[in-house]
Amino acid sequence: MPAPAASPTDAQLILAVLEREDRRAFGVLVERHQSQVRTVLRRMTRGDVALADDLAQEVFVLAWRNLGKFRFEAKFSTWLYRIAFNTWQSEARKKHEVLLDTEDGSPAESLEMATEMPDVVTRVDLERAMAVLSDGERAAITACFYADLSHEEAAEALGLPLGTVKTHILRARAKLKAHLTKEKP
Amino acid sequence: MNDIDRVLREDARSTLPDDGFSARVMAALPARPRPRPWLHPALILGSAGLGSLLAIAFAPAGASVLQGFADLAQLHLHTPGALTAIAFGGALLASAVVLAIDSD
Repeated sequence: MPAPAASPTDAQLILAVLEREDRRAFGVLVERHQSQVRTVLRRMTRGDVALADDLAQEVFVLAWRNLGKFRFEAKFSTWLYRIAFNTWQSEARKKHEVLLDTEDGSPAESLEMATEMPDVVTRVDLERAMAVLSDGERAAITACFYADLSHEEAAEALGLPLGTVKTHILRARAKLKAHLTKEKP
Repeated sequence: MNDIDRVLREDARSTLPDDGFSARVMAALPARPRPRPWLHPALILGSAGLGSLLAIAFAPAGASVLQGFADLAQLHLHTPGALTAIAFGGALLASAVVLAIDSD
């Protein structure tokens, strides 16, 4: 029995699109990365599923148009995250000023709760908790945990100083923990 | 790893069902823009050429480029012809540098 063919890598699929305008190859990339892009955007839009999916569609259309600019130096998922972040930022700017580096003044330490986290945290719980974060805190959390960027890569992608990203992460962790502990005593 | 990190990592690893999303994206894709690698160099060289022609056309009387190069060869750097030749050569050099950087 012949061994099943290994699925093509992202780089092979991208080359197929660039060389032969292979829509099927791009379709595989969309299927492979849709979950991550849509999840990131759902968290960034405070759980607005319809808006997140509209933005995710825009992200993949932009990726299709600009695939020739992909340099193969970073992972395709990282490149997509950057497009997703810029798309969310453009949309958010239409509605209100996005303040990525605003400090809300509450020291992160004071938000640390001594209580234990609940054993089970549902997606809805987490979405609600993410909604209490500032734009900058949500952006930093999605970059580091959902797009799996290092703090340095996140700082570059978000256009923020490294120290600000670290502060956002620290503060966001504390807020999320406090909120989730309060929700589920 | 603390608890909140674990919760976030688990959420990030969870998979959203496609629910027709990929099909909607594929239906919305426009035709890919045709690559035109010649356009950028043509614009740079065209601009440099136009600039050089204007420099020659509006140079003071007697300031021909050939005379300018002759002046430069004799280290007469401040004649109108020499300045025209320097401007002409500078425009071409700038174009070459921009194209070399762009091709990296």
